[in-house]
Amino acid sequence: MRMSKVQVLIQGMLVAAMLLFFLLPIYWLLSTAFKFGRDAFATPPQWFFFHYTLENFRQLWQNSGTPGYLRNSIIISGGVTALSLLLGVPAGYALARSQSRLIAASSHLFLLLLMLPPIAMLIPFYLLMRQLHLLGSYAGLILLDTLFDASFVAWLMRSTFAEMPPAMEEAALVDGASVWQVFRKIALPLAWPGLSAAAIYCLIFSWNDFLFALMLTSPRTKTLPLGIMASFSAVEISWGRMAAMSFIAVLPPFFVALFLNRTWQATISQRSSPNS
Amino acid sequence: MSEKRTLLIPLALMLALTLLAACQPPTTPSPKKPFAGTALTLASMSDQYVAAFRYLIPQFQKETGIEVTLDEMGYVDLYAKLTADFVAHTGQYDLMTVDIVWTGEYAQNRYTLPLDTFMARDSAILAQDDIMPVAWSLGEWQGQHWAYPLAGYANVLNYRKDVLAQANIAPPATQQALLAAAQQLTHAQNDFYGIALLGAKGPAVAQDYMVWVQQHGGSLLDEQGNIAVNTPENVEILQFFGQLFAYAPPGATDYWWDQRETAYRSGRIAMMEGWSIARAGYEDPKISNIVGKTAITLAPVAQGVPPRYGFGGWGIGINADSANAEAAWEFIKWITSPEIQKQWVQHQGAPIRRSTLTDAQLVATYPWFTTLLQAFEQGDGNYRPRIPEYSIIQDALGTQVNAFLVGQLSAQQALDRAQMQIQANLP
Amino acid sequence: MKRTREKHYLLLLTPLLLLVLLLAIYPLLFALGISFFNYRLTDPTQTRHFVGLANYLRAFHSPLVHTAVINTLLFVAGTVSLELLLGLGMALLLNHENKLIQLIRSWLVLPMALPALVVGLIWKALYNVDFGPLTYYLKHLGLNLGRGPLGESHLALPAVMLIDVWQWTPLAMLIFLAGLKSLPQEPYDAARVDGANSWQQFWHLTLPLLKPTWLILLLLRTMQGFKVFDTLYATTGGGPGTATTVLNYHIYTQGMVFFRMGYAAALANILLVLVGMLAIFYIILLERQRQ
Repeated sequence: MRMSKVQVLIQGMLVAAMLLFFLLPIYWLLSTAFKFGRDAFATPPQWFFFHYTLENFRQLWQNSGTPGYLRNSIIISGGVTALSLLLGVPAGYALARSQSRLIAASSHLFLLLLMLPPIAMLIPFYLLMRQLHLLGSYAGLILLDTLFDASFVAWLMRSTFAEMPPAMEEAALVDGASVWQVFRKIALPLAWPGLSAAAIYCLIFSWNDFLFALMLTSPRTKTLPLGIMASFSAVEISWGRMAAMSFIAVLPPFFVALFLNRTWQATISQRSSPNS
Repeated sequence: MSEKRTLLIPLALMLALTLLAACQPPTTPSPKKPFAGTALTLASMSDQYVAAFRYLIPQFQKETGIEVTLDEMGYVDLYAKLTADFVAHTGQYDLMTVDIVWTGEYAQNRYTLPLDTFMARDSAILAQDDIMPVAWSLGEWQGQHWAYPLAGYANVLNYRKDVLAQANIAPPATQQALLAAAQQLTHAQNDFYGIALLGAKGPAVAQDYMVWVQQHGGSLLDEQGNIAVNTPENVEILQFFGQLFAYAPPGATDYWWDQRETAYRSGRIAMMEGWSIARAGYEDPKISNIVGKTAITLAPVAQGVPPRYGFGGWGIGINADSANAEAAWEFIKWITSPEIQKQWVQHQGAPIRRSTLTDAQLVATYPWFTTLLQAFEQGDGNYRPRIPEYSIIQDALGTQVNAFLVGQLSAQQALDRAQMQIQANLP
Repeated sequence: MKRTREKHYLLLLTPLLLLVLLLAIYPLLFALGISFFNYRLTDPTQTRHFVGLANYLRAFHSPLVHTAVINTLLFVAGTVSLELLLGLGMALLLNHENKLIQLIRSWLVLPMALPALVVGLIWKALYNVDFGPLTYYLKHLGLNLGRGPLGESHLALPAVMLIDVWQWTPLAMLIFLAGLKSLPQEPYDAARVDGANSWQQFWHLTLPLLKPTWLILLLLRTMQGFKVFDTLYATTGGGPGTATTVLNYHIYTQGMVFFRMGYAAALANILLVLVGMLAIFYIILLERQRQ
């Protein structure tokens, strides 16, 4: 549909306003990474023209264990995303298509998990992980994050699949295809946008989790959020260090989101249906 | 699904690499290095002295063969993680930095090992007389030592010597002079204020208020050692505290330590009380806009009050669940020894020994050590009650003093409520 | 036929169900059960006295809990409605596929990529009335901010709500986008043939068809809104006074500062019931829509 020039202009301005709102604080933080500590809060605020320095990044790489934190965050987030999708997406499909009461009941169990504030369950999880000898390991944190993220994915994918008219799947099932085949060959490809939203969600929530990471990691498996918060001492916050580390922390999610976004197709009509 | 597969391969690769990296060749003990090959984990607050740890730990490793892994955390994370480690007896950390106010809690719950047997056995080399008497409060509780002194902080008054000189004001020697100077030096229209204070709800305002209680000769405990925060004295002190805020920046009622430091370092504040460990930072051109303009003096007490100065800092303790207590004690002995303390201080550590504070070379680099020595000699490590119930006091004061500062309560009401809140929450 | 189908659906569900049953049952039961006990986390003997409903009664009579509940409801209502509205708007704006828009959508992920604590600290710095960048311009526009957005009792809750909206609207946008892309084409073709304009298509087709999406978003953001903590901890500590004390913050204070785990668990269960009631409401709407 062709839009008038006015409409394009208005839309452009809205997008610009949106970007300003969401990205200005990020820009402030990231520019602080290149400033000396004394300029972080200069008045008037220095947005573009300030004394640049790479000192914060140099210190980061040499002193603070950041390469290790980055590696750990990648391992954990990657593991959580993969495992959560593996567990949550089929579960979401089952929740969407099944008429069974038992299955509906289990969806309420997942919801219960998502509703309770984590602090009430923190100590029992800590003790449980200790029993399983998973304290301080990658597996422990991955499993715990997956517990919550996969539950969310199940609910999210449930609504995604529910939105898709079941006609094509019904036809295939009547033709003799198994549930698994219908899931893999018909439902899944059509649900790709929902899948990638779920993937981004898992990535984000495991990437910036602080509380569980604090409790379940050892110095060897520490993640980026813990490293960033260590800039917060009793006397001051090392803003340069915090900003530099945050800079590194936002890059991987950004690239993953970019990658996933590039794979989204224009509209459902451009996706060739299996029968056309 | 292929996207997932492409994700899994680099993941697997990374896992393999990290497993490989984790394998290290062990070292074997020898007569000179009886603990060689032992691995210790040290949980440290991310204060300035972390730089000193980082510098010194490789040296320790070379000398003793003991490997120390440093885990640096912020204040709240440190406390939460240590508590979880103690309560669940997971023994993840062998050594930990212990805030002075946690002493009573750690002692009562036996989280850390009492060090007195170690201290008696090795007293010959510990040079305990050299440690400033006040520093022992970093871990001493009811006659036993549950942590060893590591880093001593004194509450001092930092001031802009250029600003005071220009206004012809002498550095305040009493609290009353402090208030007068703050008033005189405040020019709000030029965005310049006489004093910066911590007003934020929670630990920040609680700690600043407690400093002022100490400086006015008040006390949060009565003679029997019971908690009594709403005495008439303390109410008057709270009102004085509130008066000071009139000469602090408007946002001061929301200041954490970071904001107060930023305010002072940005050059818009004339005076600020704070821990001595921040002093060196004001001379660092990378973080400070007021290089060369700061002087420190003893924090003034109210007229008629015998001079005592707030003392705080960190001790270092051994986890009661640690399997390597002896090796951990070796580390404590080493890092607090007179020779290493000099390097400790030179790399942003805080002093605990008289020898360090009077060393000619160090005094030349850090001329405020003479003030610090005096502050330590008359230091009071108990102005914040180091009792096990400290966190309850801190939370009550943190809430109610802030409510007073933002005008929701009168001083009497605030302290009455704090007292009630404390009584209601005591175990 | 249907039986084998249901069996297969169960098989698809089983891996997740197994994980939840194995790992979460004990913590869930613990969290639910310990609320009936008096349990101090730091007690060396770890004794637990059964006290029945005493914790709950204490909570019901506590004025601080009442304030916390009200603040929580205000916070959730405000943030969720704003996030959904803005998120939908942004999704509609950015529903084209070209390189630029894809890039913009990826940038919008950045607010979510930072830990909530760090976001809180950033905004505390931005809001700082003395030397924060944001307030600098607001003051120059002539606004008198007093003690600042976080220091004034009437400004604090809106200010922290803004932080939450800032961080999580992109998530709403992403999920709405996914929903938009799953919509079937036929109804739109039919509507266009009937002469409906884009606004009518939006109101009568898009919104109703998106119902599962925005119901799920409503549900999930509500649940997360009730659990907000890090942002408040980093900015106001629940203050000034009790202006930003929400229930989850009070739970933290009781559990991690006073170590009264039993009472904290009771408060958590009260929060659970509140969220649960809303969740049941949303789910009923969702189920009805399915038919």
